[in-house]
Amino acid sequence: MDLLDAHLVPAVDGVAFGLLLFVVAAGLSLAFGTAGVLNLSHGTLYAIGAYTGAELSDGTWGGLALGLAAGTAAACLAGAGLSAATAPLARRGHLAQALLTFGLALIGGDLLIQLFGADELPVRVPEMLDSSVSLLGHRYPAYRLCFIVMAVVLAAFGTWVLTRTRMGAAVRAAADDPEMLAATGHNPRAVHTGVLAAAGALAGAAGVLGAPIIGPGPGTSENVLMLSLVVVVLGGLRSLWATFFAAIAVGEVQTLGVAVAPALAPYLLFAAMAAVLVLRSRFVEPATAHGSGPSSPGPVARLRERVSGWAAPLSAWSGRLPGSPAWRRAAPPLVLLAVLVALPALLDAYSISLAGSALALGLLAVSVTVLTGYAGLPTLGQTAPFAVGAYATANLAEAEWTVGPVQLVLSALAAAVFAAVVGPAVIRARGTTVLMITLAVGELTGAVVNQLKSVTGGADGLVGFPATRAWWGGPELAEESELYAYALVVAVVAVALTLLVLRSPAGKLLTGTRGAEARMRASGHPVGRYLLVAHIGAGALAGVGGSLMVTVQQYLAPADVGFEIAAFALLAVVIGGTTSVVGALLGAGLIVATRDWVAGSWPGHGPLLLGVLFVAAVYLLPRGLAGLRGDRPGGGGGRPSAPPVSEGPPPPGPPSRDDQPPSRPPVRDDGPASGPPVREGRPLSAPAPNSAGKVSS
Amino acid sequence: MLELTGLTAGYHGGTVLHGLDLTVDAGSVHAVVGHNGAGKTTLVHTVAGLTRPSAGTVRIDGREVTGQPAHRLARAGIGLVPQGRRVFAGLTVEEHLRLSHRPPRRGDTTRPGVWTPARVLELLPRLGERRTNRGADLSGGEQQMLALARALLGSPRVLLLDEPTEGLAPVLVRQVHELVVTLAAEGLAVLLVSPSPAQAVACARTLTVLTSGRMTLRMSGEDARADPTALRAALELTAAGTATDNG
Amino acid sequence: MTSAPPAAAPPVLALDGLTRRYGTLTAVDGVSLRLVPGARHAVIGPNGAGKTTLLNLIAGTDRPDRGAIALDGADITRRGTAARSRLGIARSFQQPSVVTELSVLDNVVLAGWTHGPRQRGAWRRPSLHRSRQETAVRHLEAVGLADLAHRPAGALSHGQRRMLDLAAALAGDPRLLLLDEPAAGLTDADIDRLLGIVGGLPPAVAVILVEHHVEVVAHLATDTTVLASGQVVATGPTREVLARPEVRAAYHGSASAAVPGASGPSDGSGAGHVPTVCPSPTDARG
Repeated sequence: MDLLDAHLVPAVDGVAFGLLLFVVAAGLSLAFGTAGVLNLSHGTLYAIGAYTGAELSDGTWGGLALGLAAGTAAACLAGAGLSAATAPLARRGHLAQALLTFGLALIGGDLLIQLFGADELPVRVPEMLDSSVSLLGHRYPAYRLCFIVMAVVLAAFGTWVLTRTRMGAAVRAAADDPEMLAATGHNPRAVHTGVLAAAGALAGAAGVLGAPIIGPGPGTSENVLMLSLVVVVLGGLRSLWATFFAAIAVGEVQTLGVAVAPALAPYLLFAAMAAVLVLRSRFVEPATAHGSGPSSPGPVARLRERVSGWAAPLSAWSGRLPGSPAWRRAAPPLVLLAVLVALPALLDAYSISLAGSALALGLLAVSVTVLTGYAGLPTLGQTAPFAVGAYATANLAEAEWTVGPVQLVLSALAAAVFAAVVGPAVIRARGTTVLMITLAVGELTGAVVNQLKSVTGGADGLVGFPATRAWWGGPELAEESELYAYALVVAVVAVALTLLVLRSPAGKLLTGTRGAEARMRASGHPVGRYLLVAHIGAGALAGVGGSLMVTVQQYLAPADVGFEIAAFALLAVVIGGTTSVVGALLGAGLIVATRDWVAGSWPGHGPLLLGVLFVAAVYLLPRGLAGLRGDRPGGGGGRPSAPPVSEGPPPPGPPSRDDQPPSRPPVRDDGPASGPPVREGRPLSAPAPNSAGKVSS
Repeated sequence: MLELTGLTAGYHGGTVLHGLDLTVDAGSVHAVVGHNGAGKTTLVHTVAGLTRPSAGTVRIDGREVTGQPAHRLARAGIGLVPQGRRVFAGLTVEEHLRLSHRPPRRGDTTRPGVWTPARVLELLPRLGERRTNRGADLSGGEQQMLALARALLGSPRVLLLDEPTEGLAPVLVRQVHELVVTLAAEGLAVLLVSPSPAQAVACARTLTVLTSGRMTLRMSGEDARADPTALRAALELTAAGTATDNG
Repeated sequence: MTSAPPAAAPPVLALDGLTRRYGTLTAVDGVSLRLVPGARHAVIGPNGAGKTTLLNLIAGTDRPDRGAIALDGADITRRGTAARSRLGIARSFQQPSVVTELSVLDNVVLAGWTHGPRQRGAWRRPSLHRSRQETAVRHLEAVGLADLAHRPAGALSHGQRRMLDLAAALAGDPRLLLLDEPAAGLTDADIDRLLGIVGGLPPAVAVILVEHHVEVVAHLATDTTVLASGQVVATGPTREVLARPEVRAAYHGSASAAVPGASGPSDGSGAGHVPTVCPSPTDARG
């Protein structure tokens, strides 16, 4: 009884917190589950509401009402804008949309700081609620109780609309097959906009009402986004009730859990998330939108054409390259190598050290390419093995193991072991589920990094360890140019090894696994083993990258292995074209240049510039830099024994998008939604539409 | 009722349909037969607005509707029963009916028939028994019925059927054919697409053979029934044509 | 010559009381079957009868709730898809499954990868790679796609993909070949080719054919099993089975019976629609 009594207040707090998360997460789940947009700027929508509410709150009911109206409307509009922004990407899958919204979140965060300042805003609730009431002998804030009631009403209304009305049916139909919804006379574009606007409104309303609970500040967006992502993952997308219970559970962990077991709470959330994802063999994944109606060449497409136009000389040049296709394939890496070798002669010391960091990040990006482009596992968690490698090297250095090759090999080994342990959880999933699992892995690693102070130095990071020696008995690497040379040699060896493996038939095995997993299995390929090997290899590569980063910058902070870095790596891969190793390196270089070099002349606006880079990359480079060459995607990244692309008509369209031949209906990857549970089922072994008669699928 | 002139369409810049002319009268069934890859589904998608034509015109009842998005065309009177049925997996039969029920505008008396859920259930009683089942939980035949019901509830003037019997047991194939003939008799213009000449011959008033996106033969259903050799010969040609086309 | 008495020849495939449930629905209900080497066995039945589920159970993409599967007398009920493939079970898919980014030839090379002479490190050895390609070209010739060998598979039409899928199945060097509606969506010319390919298989290869085209079944299969609601309702020589009035009624709709039944067993009473000819699984071995 005493125990209950002591924890009553945090428990009720947990309910309030959970309901807040539910309202936010319901919007996120709606946008993802029915509009197919994995909205990484959802936290920003909350922040818009929270800032507006805080700004207009003056301790009166009128202020609250005005704030609620204005905040909801602002976030609703932002949601509608998001719909317009993501609509041109409808055919490009979740990854492009996720990156776009992440870019928009970076921009939005910067703008909010411009408008409202970098400090947390105080929030004033109406006086009548600004008191405490007696709750089983405890004083409890009246506002939170009132909030609980409002959140329940909001949730009930939303559920009713979605499950009981014709509008709700249209929304669910749009999630399933927008083309067929259009063929029944409903405008899917309108549904898409409506859903995102409603999701925005939910987030905005939650922001206004929840401002006294999670207040507006610079970290609000990311905090809210992470927590609601956890809720969505835990709850799945099928049922609002599951989301509800997940939200309450997360709320309790964040309040009651912290009160009861403060040391464990940070792990608990993401461990639970990873566990749920692993146990549930399939996470409901919405079908990639088929697009709404015929696509007209919008402004984005026209802009894209102009960009391709600028690149035409480049592509013409690459077309005139002398010699065999093998030479043409080898040319981009060699040109890049020549530039990298020449860099020290061209740049000042600071820029050289940046170039070294870019190489380290580039290795991380290459490892993401291996997983995303070849194994078909889009990852946001490669920072985890990256971190393992980085902290391994830093600790080795502190223990006076300063010989570079030893550091590299041991770091790669540690990262590989880590990847082998985590791998089985990752390779079971496909598609967006992988993004979420790897996100959980990355966040969990981040939590560990912050907790294990003896190894990682906690939030302060590690600094002041001995510098690396390039070989046994060699001098310490101190000069920027020496460090760069070391980084370059390591990167060249690592990338060359990667290319060698990817261009061997092993690369084909991975491509086959990504493209037709069911066929590969049925032909006797141990698909799981291939993916695990790829995951371990990519982990080792990321570990080398982490080791390199520590050597080059000679300090290590948690932010160096944080979520942003993971997103950057993924962006680098998208910029470079998902199957292009060279493209990934270039993308990493571009990002580091933007973040540290260009932004250096405009301090404080690094996130804004990066956001713009994200948005521009997603819109303008649908196939990445590799696509600019006018070649087949991956042409620069080694498609083993690809038939020589010579004169003659090219295959209709880019092959990666061409999995729907003209004369057949799109094979929908919405396995979970279209049939009874299949134990081993995966989106990739999707049931044939024909067999969707209840039994066979 | 449905009039296509010089219709040209494709994907990713590749042209699949090359200047097709085709007319379907109200109250008749026009079958389009052709090899896989001949452009049959592209034709259906273009008429339904799921693919934008690069040239040519589409007219419904004399009114030009070329290039309009799918939902507009649906409201203008095009009903689509797509290949693979594509019923909404998560919606119940009831919700399908409610969602697709779209009565014609008041004063619009040009529709061959006005369909309500009640009337559809009369025609397809099986669906009534499965009202509360989700689309994914229906058998293939039931899904086909539901796809047809969905198209009818818009009270269409033109009905597009894309391989409506694919994967159905023979007994159901016959049922579908009977339905098609019944609906045409109501005044609907039916465009039926099928890879099999036998099916087309079974219910079509006119036939078009499509080869690599071009019409290679047009004949009446009666002629085809009387002498199937011409049709078969044209299709053999189709097969050969496609092979060389892709090779 | 086929699913004849077990004494005549050891069965290449033996199914015993195979059952698979999805929730309340029993998709495959106590199916038993024996196939001797060289059998050409068709499985027919209305939509939703459990035909594809049965194939999935045999191929290993789905696991039975009850019952056992034996290949050449060895129990493989718990083996995975890949392991079964290496033991000699190959299949085609209802929706052809091809790697669109790779060339047509590479698709077949990958499909034959784990078969034939097993050598370690084989993926690195050029000579072996060449011999694999030669084998793959032969399979492509068989299905008529040799001319397109170097095209990306994504450029193929639906019918061509079906043929490529078939070539991939053949590349698995099967002892047991599972064909899931291979004729669906094919033109008459393609069907002729299909008949030729299956007819030309080595005599030791056993084939299970799920198909709606009665002509294809009649042409290829020496024996036929009729499924309805997951249960075997008739099995025997194809001509006899197809001639039985109940089967004709259910399948061709020639009698007044069975129109609603054909739309599936999902109402739970489906078993009644097709008169039960062989009520017990024992008879089904027949």
